[in-house]
Amino acid sequence: MFQTESIPETDRQTGWFVVGASLGVLLLLYYLVPLGALLFAQSPASVAAQLGSARVVSAARNSLLTATASTALSAALGLPLAYWLARTDVRGKNAVLTLVLLPLVLPPIVSGMLLLEVVGPNGLGAFTSLSFTRSLFGVVLAQTFVASPFFVVTTKAAFESVDRHFEHASRSLGKSRKTTFRRITLPLAIPGIVAGLTLTFARAIGEFGATLMMAYYPRTLPVQIWRSFLNDGLAAAFPVAVVLVGLALSALLVINAFGRNPWRH
Amino acid sequence: MLELTNIRTGYNAFELGPVSLAVEDEILSVLGPSGCGKTTLLSVVAGIQSTDDGSVELNGTDLTGLPPERRNTAYVFQDGALFPHMSVRENVAYAAVNDARVDDLAATLEVEDLLNRDVSTLSGGERQRVALARALAADPDALLLDEPLANLDAPIKRRLRFELRDVLAALDIPVVYVTHDQRQATTMGDRIAVMRDGTVRQVGTAEEIFERPASTFVAEFTGSVNLFEADVRDRDDDALYLGWDDAVVEAPAYDVESKRVYFCIRPEYVMVVRKDRPVDERDNVLTGTITRRIYQGEDYVVALDLDAVDDLVEIRLPTPVYERLSLADRDQVRVSLKKRALHVIDDAEAIR
Repeated sequence: MFQTESIPETDRQTGWFVVGASLGVLLLLYYLVPLGALLFAQSPASVAAQLGSARVVSAARNSLLTATASTALSAALGLPLAYWLARTDVRGKNAVLTLVLLPLVLPPIVSGMLLLEVVGPNGLGAFTSLSFTRSLFGVVLAQTFVASPFFVVTTKAAFESVDRHFEHASRSLGKSRKTTFRRITLPLAIPGIVAGLTLTFARAIGEFGATLMMAYYPRTLPVQIWRSFLNDGLAAAFPVAVVLVGLALSALLVINAFGRNPWRH
Repeated sequence: MLELTNIRTGYNAFELGPVSLAVEDEILSVLGPSGCGKTTLLSVVAGIQSTDDGSVELNGTDLTGLPPERRNTAYVFQDGALFPHMSVRENVAYAAVNDARVDDLAATLEVEDLLNRDVSTLSGGERQRVALARALAADPDALLLDEPLANLDAPIKRRLRFELRDVLAALDIPVVYVTHDQRQATTMGDRIAVMRDGTVRQVGTAEEIFERPASTFVAEFTGSVNLFEADVRDRDDDALYLGWDDAVVEAPAYDVESKRVYFCIRPEYVMVVRKDRPVDERDNVLTGTITRRIYQGEDYVVALDLDAVDDLVEIRLPTPVYERLSLADRDQVRVSLKKRALHVIDDAEAIR
């Protein structure tokens, strides 16, 4: 987590510079062009006309609700874990960290299968009348499983970037561990924590694979896109996609507003 | 009084202790090379680092095992550790009982004009003043300072050293001042504890440490360049007679056991003797040839290759004295290593 100063080069090797720059630009275009397609493939008027349709509105409401809930759940459960991971030196730490990263490497659809096994009618669902699947709660469970590692990993890095001297200084000035956390550690880590929340939210709102297995109904935006695409083709899926991308992009804007893009380090 | 008894702690490959130290309401400088355990010692007192063994007592209260916040030992870090999300005033007020105390300390440490500034705009010297004000605002029962001047430029360091000394001396609480710089250790400390490899090697006043080092390590670390090996040839009630290659020097009657010992003399005590001046044995007069003269601002250091001994002796002469003597390279001079200025070290561990 440090920044290198750019030093003026005296012997810039122009050939390699051009090659490197071209490769980078190619990749950037590859990111940008599909976004353009989203905007220009359909006439804005036809997209706008469908934005108010009941299925889009309902899916958007479901998505916002569940992504917010699963972000909050990830934060509540993940904050203490992230702090512990950032501060402990115990032997099992790496094993715990690996466990946190597990949902990131599991294919989401497999995660959905496994969750279904655990909380579905043959699992926890058999013991309770609560509906863990085919409900907004089921969506939250799927999103939390897939998205919470983003919160833990980013927040852990945020806590790690807080110099322990600040905490030691605070406590030697007579402030308890709790006060020190509230007045020193948390405020210093907050930009990184906000980045973690934003990433988690973005991942949750785009969650498809695990959600599809856990709760095809009630539909979130990604499931609605899939459904519209299957039934009515790409054109029908576009307005829903526009809404989803809009929400995801605003998450990115929030990160930048706080000045701490976690990928920048 | 701050009292450490048989403190022992370790992490990774580093072992501290056993260390026992008693600090009255005074400033104790802890002097030692990097990695000797000075900072670990402070962390143990502050409760940041736990101990495997031993006890820490402050004014009769046992602190061992208490968390840092219940020890009332304020810690000033090398970089100040000012909270970056707070203004200077908020930093000083962090542990202060009231605003009056903040203004009071800001005045004492001359940081009143900085109170509304952002900590990132402070210079190194300003940071340390603010860090000290913040620590004192907590009304600590003991103050722990870890190399507070280490990152500062020389002129600021020099000025702040004396100012800091006055502020700390007026506190009337145990102050532990960790440094690797012998000049700071002497300016700051009423007494000095010299550390090496996790243990305290010698505790005493600056005069004791510098003029009567207990080991060759202390002698070398405190800048004794004239440190020589010799044999104890003879002894009587008043003197030790040391065989130093082809010379014999008379030293005070130290109670040494080893046959092979070290002796040292600080360069400022080596006297140049005029040819016509009468001398006696206790003056330990030797002749040699000047091989090097280095101007150091306030004084000259002259290296002399002794005739009877396979060693160089360094002489430090105040500039006016040096100029009066008008010395030149290759000059033959007589020097006196006065008996009472010689210090003999029986350091079996160090004998090769």
